[in-house]
Amino acid sequence: MQVKSLLVAFLLFLSLNLFAQPSGKPLSVEGAKGESLFKLNCASCHAMNVKLVGPALQDVHQRRSEEWLLKWIKNNEKLRASGDKDAIAVYNENGKAAMNVFENLSDDQIKSIITYFKDWTPAAKVAVVVDPAAADQGFFSDNTLYILLFLIVILTVVLLILRRTKNQLQTTLNDVEGITETEVTEPTASQSKLAAFKKKSNPTIVKLLVGTVIALCLAVYGYNFGATEIAVQQGYAPEQPIKFSHKIHAGDYKMDCKYCHTTVEKSKQASVPSVNTCMNCHKGVQLRERYDGEISPEIKKIYAAMDYDPDKPNGQQFGPNPKPIKWIRVHNLPDHAFFNHSMHVKGVGLTCQTCHGPVQAMPVIQQYATLQMGWCINCHRERNIDVENNPYYEKLHEKIKADKNNKNSNYSKYYTKDGKINVTAAQNGALECSKCHY
Amino acid sequence: MANKQTYWKGEEELLRTKDFLASQKNEFHEALPLDEVLSENNLGLSANRRDFLKFFGFSIAAVSLAACNKTPIRNVVPYLVKPEEITPGVANYYNSTCGACSAACGVTVKTREGRPIKVDGNINSPVSGGGLCSTGQASLLSLYDTERLAGPQNVKDKTASLVEWSAIDADITKQLTAINASGGRIAIVSGTLHSPSTLGVISDFTAKYTNTKHITYDTIGYGGILSANLSSFGKQVLPSYNFDKANVVVSFGADFLGTWISPVEFTKAWASRRKVDGLNKESKIIKTIQFESNLSLTGSNADYRFPMKSSMEAIYVTALYNAIAQKAGVAQMPMVKTGELAGSAIKQSAEALWNEKGAGLVVSGSNDARVQTVINGINLLLNNYGTTIDLDNHSNQYKGIDADFAQFATDLSNGNYKAVIFYNTNPLYNSPMADMISAGIKKAALSISFATTADETAIACQYIAPDSHYLESWNDAEPKAGLFQLTQPTISPVFKTRQAQESLLTWAGLATKPLVDPFANKTILAQKAEASIYYLYIKNKWAAMGINSDATFNKALHDGVHKLDAKVATTPAFSANLSAVAAELDKMTINANAIDLVLYQNVAIKDGSLSNNPWLQETPDPISKVTWDNYVSLPKALAEKEKIANGDLVDVTVGSKSIKGLPVFIQPGQSNMTVGLALGYGRKGKIGEKGEFEAIGKNAFPFVTYSNGNFNYVTNGVKITKAEGNYELAQTQTHFSIEGRDLVRETTFNEIKENPKAGNDKMAPHLYTLWETKDYKKDGAPNHHWAMSIDLNTCTGCSACVVSCNIENNVPVVGRAEVRKRREMHWMRIDRYFSFSNVNKINYEADLFLKKDYEGDRITKEKGLEAIDAIESKKADKANYDHWENVQVVHQPMMCQHCGQAPCETVCPVLATTHSTEGLNQMTYNRCIGTKYCANNCPYKVRRFNWFRYNDNDQFDFHFNNDLGKMVINPDVTVRTRGVMEKCSMCVQSIQAVKVKAKRERRKINDGEVKTACQRACPAGAIVFGDVNDQNSEIHKLFMNERSYRVLEELNTQTAVKYLVKVRDTETAKKA
Repeated sequence: MQVKSLLVAFLLFLSLNLFAQPSGKPLSVEGAKGESLFKLNCASCHAMNVKLVGPALQDVHQRRSEEWLLKWIKNNEKLRASGDKDAIAVYNENGKAAMNVFENLSDDQIKSIITYFKDWTPAAKVAVVVDPAAADQGFFSDNTLYILLFLIVILTVVLLILRRTKNQLQTTLNDVEGITETEVTEPTASQSKLAAFKKKSNPTIVKLLVGTVIALCLAVYGYNFGATEIAVQQGYAPEQPIKFSHKIHAGDYKMDCKYCHTTVEKSKQASVPSVNTCMNCHKGVQLRERYDGEISPEIKKIYAAMDYDPDKPNGQQFGPNPKPIKWIRVHNLPDHAFFNHSMHVKGVGLTCQTCHGPVQAMPVIQQYATLQMGWCINCHRERNIDVENNPYYEKLHEKIKADKNNKNSNYSKYYTKDGKINVTAAQNGALECSKCHY
Repeated sequence: MANKQTYWKGEEELLRTKDFLASQKNEFHEALPLDEVLSENNLGLSANRRDFLKFFGFSIAAVSLAACNKTPIRNVVPYLVKPEEITPGVANYYNSTCGACSAACGVTVKTREGRPIKVDGNINSPVSGGGLCSTGQASLLSLYDTERLAGPQNVKDKTASLVEWSAIDADITKQLTAINASGGRIAIVSGTLHSPSTLGVISDFTAKYTNTKHITYDTIGYGGILSANLSSFGKQVLPSYNFDKANVVVSFGADFLGTWISPVEFTKAWASRRKVDGLNKESKIIKTIQFESNLSLTGSNADYRFPMKSSMEAIYVTALYNAIAQKAGVAQMPMVKTGELAGSAIKQSAEALWNEKGAGLVVSGSNDARVQTVINGINLLLNNYGTTIDLDNHSNQYKGIDADFAQFATDLSNGNYKAVIFYNTNPLYNSPMADMISAGIKKAALSISFATTADETAIACQYIAPDSHYLESWNDAEPKAGLFQLTQPTISPVFKTRQAQESLLTWAGLATKPLVDPFANKTILAQKAEASIYYLYIKNKWAAMGINSDATFNKALHDGVHKLDAKVATTPAFSANLSAVAAELDKMTINANAIDLVLYQNVAIKDGSLSNNPWLQETPDPISKVTWDNYVSLPKALAEKEKIANGDLVDVTVGSKSIKGLPVFIQPGQSNMTVGLALGYGRKGKIGEKGEFEAIGKNAFPFVTYSNGNFNYVTNGVKITKAEGNYELAQTQTHFSIEGRDLVRETTFNEIKENPKAGNDKMAPHLYTLWETKDYKKDGAPNHHWAMSIDLNTCTGCSACVVSCNIENNVPVVGRAEVRKRREMHWMRIDRYFSFSNVNKINYEADLFLKKDYEGDRITKEKGLEAIDAIESKKADKANYDHWENVQVVHQPMMCQHCGQAPCETVCPVLATTHSTEGLNQMTYNRCIGTKYCANNCPYKVRRFNWFRYNDNDQFDFHFNNDLGKMVINPDVTVRTRGVMEKCSMCVQSIQAVKVKAKRERRKINDGEVKTACQRACPAGAIVFGDVNDQNSEIHKLFMNERSYRVLEELNTQTAVKYLVKVRDTETAKKA
């Protein structure tokens, strides 16, 4: 493991000069902070230039005052209740769909988001269409491999040349100092060079060198392949037995994810909804208008599953010959990894899109993230836990407060430079094996 | 240093036999069979280095290729209509009643997505009190047993073995009607039934078929007590025993902590009186005195254990009566033989009992009504009725009258019954009258069994109408007068089985009748009525008892229990004639020089009705630590005299009956001139080594005798003859030996009253360490620090925790052959240490001589073997082994100690075992590459290596290899594959679940909210788990307790498990 990472580090070092950092969007530091907050909290309902559930937010900072935005974002219900005309107008314009309340965001955080609005330019692409290839921004693309191989060959040649030069110098030195080699017949210049090379370069070493180079290349490729390709199903979008579109349901009709995935706040599983959930709406919604008076063929599949006769709706739940729907599972974790939805959705307050991507824009559901352990770990390293507001962490919070000025205490390190408490999940043990493997 | 007794796990360890010494010095039990494996492929090679490399290379290439397949497509199939109460991924709990035996403990069943996956005790139930025995826990697996019958069978009609219910219903009803009309008698034979509704069904059936007689037959009968109580008090019932009110208990062979009547209830009560914390100088704990032949679980926990020849029990009991009568100044029983036994043991017991008049208890495991009558007399003299013995709130747990069954057997064999129905009983296997019944069944025109599997009796019958498993059934129970419990289904019937009650109702023509609606709410009833006729029947029955609304019934269903007010316990009038009893007892002829055969029940297997349950078979016997077999338990003195060694085969003969080829186990603590043999073995099942053809152990039921109106489990005059051959018992006792280090600590009650730290001599730990002190261990650390405390004083060694742990953590069963190779996978084991009560009695010089050499220590294996040879040659022939009949026992549960400075963690080359910030020693299976370094470096020997893939492997046919058996797997715990190490995780899945819940609900974790599987199972409450960093928690207090100590604390491993010193209520402190 360690050897592998050393190897990777070495190659990374070699290639640094070839890969300049992409210049990135013209975001200020504050704006970048705002962007991540935006993605975390707002992106499920808002886009910059497209109206999703909520209105498009391009130039919103010009339309509204910052003060108003602060109030609105923090608690739009309160603002509406206070009789603010603009607020009520926005509410009415958007189909009276209430925006979530974000009391958990600090003013500074909201200001960062507003900075992001200001910084944002239409040139930036809003991730509406997911391109799995684009998501693969890993270091080791195929091109990289070839470049690396080329580099290794060049370096090897340089090494050999240097070695020969050194030998040549040694020979010269020997000549100067009068140490003669055993008598040989006078060869031609080229013959002499070849012979010298043959003589000086130990064939075993050459073989070993070449072998090592090949082995190294293979090892790097193998590691790269194993680490990023095997069992990674990013972009996996199998054809499902029913052409269910999340875009229509969650995107166009703006249904709450939790309407169907009911257990996501209670259980480790988000659970695929039972068919009677579909029937709640689709007893009525049959889309006959689009199919010349016939029921939509996809909705018919729901009826078939329930063995439900739409012409004779009866009080029974389902008919005598129901056939459960065999959906194809898209998000697969290995058996030894225990992920808990309720912890992340209810406990931490993440949106579904954080891990599942813009589901509301997916006609066919697909795996957005890699779902690799590294991906989990990164998030655990970056995200903070809510030490201040969740009484579960009360003891930790008190300890941090008590040790604020104690430089020797491990707990004082949880303060940022501006004196705020900042504990990442990782610092609270979220990288430990038994959190997920048992 | 009061604690300097010599503890040992088995005789080989005490005597340092050659084999033992050799095996202790090896890493593995046997040489690794590499050659064997390689040549097994018929490659005709004995492997050399090059071959090995070839195979190695080939394997790597093959594995790489095999890995290159496509990711399989996985499906999700959601419910059509999701039941309201089910949330996928979240467990539901239902209170119910255990059906494993008729003690009827209340249980709480954990289900996931409609599958029961764990059975624990219901804290509301006075019978279980929140604990549950190993048998009850393991009864869960019988639900998922592929041997269960999938539907009704017409046994005689070979062409169509599986038939429709309607077909056999029609047949049976027709025949029953004909038999009844012609005046033929019908018998229903069952185990004890105390379900008011089931008894109602039988009386309804009897009303329809008027010639029906119901006979109760208990496999292990308590008919002796029933008869004695009838003659003494006019009540043919078992009393309730209140061990929690007793200061002294004297037991004659009654294993009340292990198998006797209601062991979970008794363990709970007994353990509540063994707690020594917070007691003052006047306080008393329950002094336990045991007279017995076999070393039982109770005997192993007794303060005083006196070896007794069980055939002479009547004499002992009479002697005790007379000793107490003398003190009470009443007439003694005339008994000539008494004089022979005026030992100090009886005097001492009488003294102790007399000092605690009204707070003593005398019980006997004898099934002889005369002995039990004397016991009644003793308890009366001591005023124990009304306090420790309660006849007014009696027990219904066993009701079988042996004489009734004997009469039935005679009648049946004479052809006096035209129809016979067997319910929850298997007399062809477990009755000494099996021959008579077998002949009688053939004479009956109609024979039916309700057995769930094709057991011995069922296949002799014409029809099998399989009953549903109790986890699929509705039922009620009245284990004690006034205590009602409900059984509710926790899963739809897996097979086309039908409850016996429903079958009886159907055959009586009552199933189709519209039942009267007992409750007001008709809509609910109408819906449920479709589900079960018997459910309605129960509701009707309960309505008659006064539970006549949905609210009260549902409350009882929710709680699992409905209690009526207890009656005031009184002292009953005694009407037995003790002189007559004495005169009769005096006629007994006992040959004091003949060997007694004492039949007993193993704590896990019990009467054998669940003998095809691999979880139970692999649970080591708490005393002998033998798995998968029964054996002749031999006293050392007899073994030496007869030149029989461990593992020899013997023939056991009683009169004309004989069992050939039983393996011998030399049991320290076995009374001289007695041998023990466990009942409940000898049944064939697919978990046997060679599939269904091989029986597990040998059936000892034919040795049960019938005399004086009762079944008798003790026989005077058994012949033990050495037979050809050898047999290796799969025994775990000296596996994972920890080489005589200071592991268990004990003291006496008197000492601890003076000095709370008595017996707890701290070993100074080496303080140098490689590690920094971890944050969670510093004062005021905000993290959790999960920890466990185990009270050696209340732990009885019953092994319920072991089974519970296996179920919770998907621990695989490995089978007899693998246990012999020390490859059992149990995460939790109970170490059982013997010591001699009086050190001076050890007069085996060779032992001491060798010990000096060996303990001075670190002698090499070769030197050790040499020394042994020298000693063996010198070994005195006249060594006296009589003192081996009495040993003291300490039980010590041992599992991963979750060391704060763990030796295993430092040696893992791949960081597969690491430490958490909450004090847990984490094991990450997907990282483990199986070097086993950690197991080698673990001083507690608690790590287990997966030698095989035990699931999906037909070599291990223990239910984890088929779809039905896999339904029992806990979905929250990884099923480990081969090649990885595993160990106790402190049920980290439960910790995580509770933490997530608390974070979600934005609150702190409550003390006691996380419970480990072993803790939940423990009937004695010896195990406490919690967050030791929480200053107010129970575990924090226990960690501060003066009795608490760490095992091997001198190694400075800083374990998260602490033990509390064992306290014996003996008179004098033992000082060596």
